[in-house]
This record gives sequence, structure tokens and C-alpha cells, in this order.
Amino acid sequence: MSATSGQASPIRAFVAQLWGSVFRHGLPTTDKVAARTALTNFFLHIHPVRVKKSAVRVSYTLCLGGLSFFLFILLTITGLFLMFYYIPSVDSAYQNVKDLQFVAVFGDIIRNMHRWAAHGMVITVWLHMARVFYQGAYKPPREFNWVIGTFLLLITLLLSFSGYLLPWDQLAIWAITVGTNMAKYAPIVGPYTRYLLLGGDQVAQGALIRFYVLHVIALPLIGFLLMVVHFWRVRKDGFTGGL
Amino acid sequence: MALNPYESARGRMRARAETTRRQFLMIMGGLAALGATLFGGIEVLKFMFPVASGNAPALFKTTFTFNDLTGGVVGGQAQTPVNVLSETDKRVTVVLDDAGIYAVYLVCTHLGCTPNYVTNVVGGSGVSEAVADARGVRARDQQIPNGWACPCHGSRYFIDSTNFYGPAPRPMDWVDISVTPDGYFAVDRATLVVTRGPGDNTPPAWRLLVGTKKSNGKTYGV
Repeated sequence: MSATSGQASPIRAFVAQLWGSVFRHGLPTTDKVAARTALTNFFLHIHPVRVKKSAVRVSYTLCLGGLSFFLFILLTITGLFLMFYYIPSVDSAYQNVKDLQFVAVFGDIIRNMHRWAAHGMVITVWLHMARVFYQGAYKPPREFNWVIGTFLLLITLLLSFSGYLLPWDQLAIWAITVGTNMAKYAPIVGPYTRYLLLGGDQVAQGALIRFYVLHVIALPLIGFLLMVVHFWRVRKDGFTGGL
Repeated sequence: MALNPYESARGRMRARAETTRRQFLMIMGGLAALGATLFGGIEVLKFMFPVASGNAPALFKTTFTFNDLTGGVVGGQAQTPVNVLSETDKRVTVVLDDAGIYAVYLVCTHLGCTPNYVTNVVGGSGVSEAVADARGVRARDQQIPNGWACPCHGSRYFIDSTNFYGPAPRPMDWVDISVTPDGYFAVDRATLVVTRGPGDNTPPAWRLLVGTKKSNGKTYGV
């Protein structure tokens, strides 16, 4: 092991130590080593070491939660690319979106991926909730995770709603006018909620920057934290198994 | 047994009720932290409510003049009036009818979109022109009832801003209008001169009267 023994070269020893510091275990040869490899690696430990045979049947969960998470990752990456061109100003926002489509190479594809993944995520999250409901997977001991899931649904819908305003076209402005006026109908807190969302009484610059901050920072961050807890609980509670 | 006061039921209660110095400080410290958090939380919430919004001012001057609307007088002859002129961006429309001039705030009472001016407002609504006639809501020289139709959810309003079709719950409001010294209109969107509740179809009497004296002694024309 020691480089001073003269048997192994120092470079080899260094590489071995580097590899060992990251992976801790060699390639899994037995179930025991495989389990240990998964447990000692951050990325591998997200997946359970053992799963029930019934739980890996695709037709059981339809992988709807996984699809939602995949779309979330896709939206994060494409959204990051969009942020390089988009400036949340009423003077430039619409033009930036047009630039994305016609000036940036692959910009139109990135924008459309973001748009369609957003629609898709709303659909898969709804279907995921329906699947969990119809299989009774919300029942104890998973009731806490069901509640977290409802908040994740809310976050998904709010992300969809806040992203609606950002292109700053006629559809966006009037959709947010209508949406925030709906919020105004709530008793007592309604008008305050609208003022809070818009930063004023009209859908103007104040509204655009607020929706932008919510869309790119606040809501994804809250969603990510809830997802961490959500996945953790899925691991701890296990799959419901065959009915 | 009764020699030891803590042995009695009452004594045990007293013993439980007694708070040590440490517990007292913990409670006080906890309350102070809670109070500071609540106070700070309220201040953070207040941060999100700007005291000045930077929105467009309520009072503005129209781009069209009094004479643009009324046609004005050329060579002693009254010209054909336009009857309806709108400032769509500022969401106000100015109407001339037989009684005078009024301004409607173009904010749909359903969910706040801007209704468009249409020359035939009853078309396709299933509401007959006779209904409009019975209500007396044809603007001057209009053969067909005109009014406003909202593009968002299809609410429709007669020319006096009374809703008659779609989800709008009540008529649109009227805002204060006056004539500026240089012949334009000054519209104050913060001053609602006519506000009608659901089902209130009474034609408003408010008008900026044509032919009344201006402050300089001249009349407003026509």
C-alpha cells in the first residue's frame, strides 16, 4: 500500500487513493459489496439498495413521480439556458423571447422544450396524484408524504402560473390580470394578495419582476426542498407493493 | 403524613407550580425570541407591500380633442360627431350621446380585462335589438346597438356600460371627465362618478354637459 515500499509506483498509489476516497468500494462482486457501494455513494444512495420485485413493475407506478422529477430537471436546465437571454424588464422581455427564438442557435428548441416540459410536468404530477389516490397509497404510514405531495402539486401549478407572465405578450398580461383578479375575490385577504403578487394595482414592471423572482428562485427552491423530503419518505416508507 | 406539606395533594400542586430560576429564564428568553421573530416577520411582510407602486397616474389627458368627439363647428355649421372615442391603453372610452358626454372605465367587472368597442354589441348574443331599444341604449346616430365586448370571457355591455351578456356581474364604472383649456379631455380614473351594483340597470344621469359655460365664459361647443 505504502508508496515508499518500492513495489507500487507513486502515481498508481495516488490514483488508487483518489479512487478509494471517492468510491470507497471496488466494482460490486457480491450482494454485500453492492449494498455497501450504494450506501457509501451519495448519488447511488438515492436509489434503494433493495426493492421488492413487485415495486419495479413499470405498470404498477407507471413511473409518474419519476417522470415528474425528470421533467423538473429538464425544466431547470432549459430554464437556466433561457436566463442567459431573458431580462425581466417590460421594455425588453418580449424582444428577448423573440431573440431566443430567432437569434440564439437552438434557442427556439430550448424555449419549446421548456414550454412543453412545463405542460408535461403539470400533467404527470396530476396523474401521479391520481395514481397514488386510486391505489390508496396515501394511507398510513404514507399520509405525511401525501400532504407533502399536495404542496408539491401546488408548487408545480404556481411555477406554471408564474412562468405564464414572463413572455410579456398579450396572452401573458391578460392571463395574469384574470388570475390575480380571481385571487382578489378571496374574502379579506384577496385584495392584499393581489397587491402583494403585482407589487401594485396593475400588471406592470412590479408584477413582472415579482413573478420572475418567484419563477426562477423562490418556487424552485421550495419545490426542491419538498422533493428531498418527498423522496426521503418514499425510501423510508417503501413501496406499497402489489394490491 | 400531613407534617410534610409536600405530601398533601395541595402541597404537590404547589411543588409542581414552583418554577426554578432556569425555567423562568428559559420561558422569558423563549417569549423574547418569539416576539422578535413575529415582529421581524411582520416587517419582512411589509417589505413586500410598496407604499408607491410606480403604476401609471390616475389622471391623464386624452390624445383626442373635444372637437374630435363632437365634430366641432366649421363655418357656423355643426359637423358630424364621432360619438365614441377610446384611449385603449389607458382603458377609458369617451361617449357623446344626446344628454352629454361621459367616460367609461374599460375594466371588465368580471376579471378585469379591457372590453373592445363594437358597433353591433347584440350580434350573436341572443339578445334582440328590441331589448336594447327598450333600454334606450343606442348612441347618437347608431342604427344598431353599440357597446363593448370583453375578449377574455365574452361579457358584453351596452353603450351606457350596463352588462347584459356573459359572466360580468355588474355594469362598468364611469370616471370623472372634464375639458382642458386647450380643448382636450382630462380623465381622472381615481374618481368614479357612477358605480352600479349587480342588477342595477338604471341609466346613469351623470354627464359632462355640452353647451355649458367654460371658466373663461365660452361654451363647450355644438
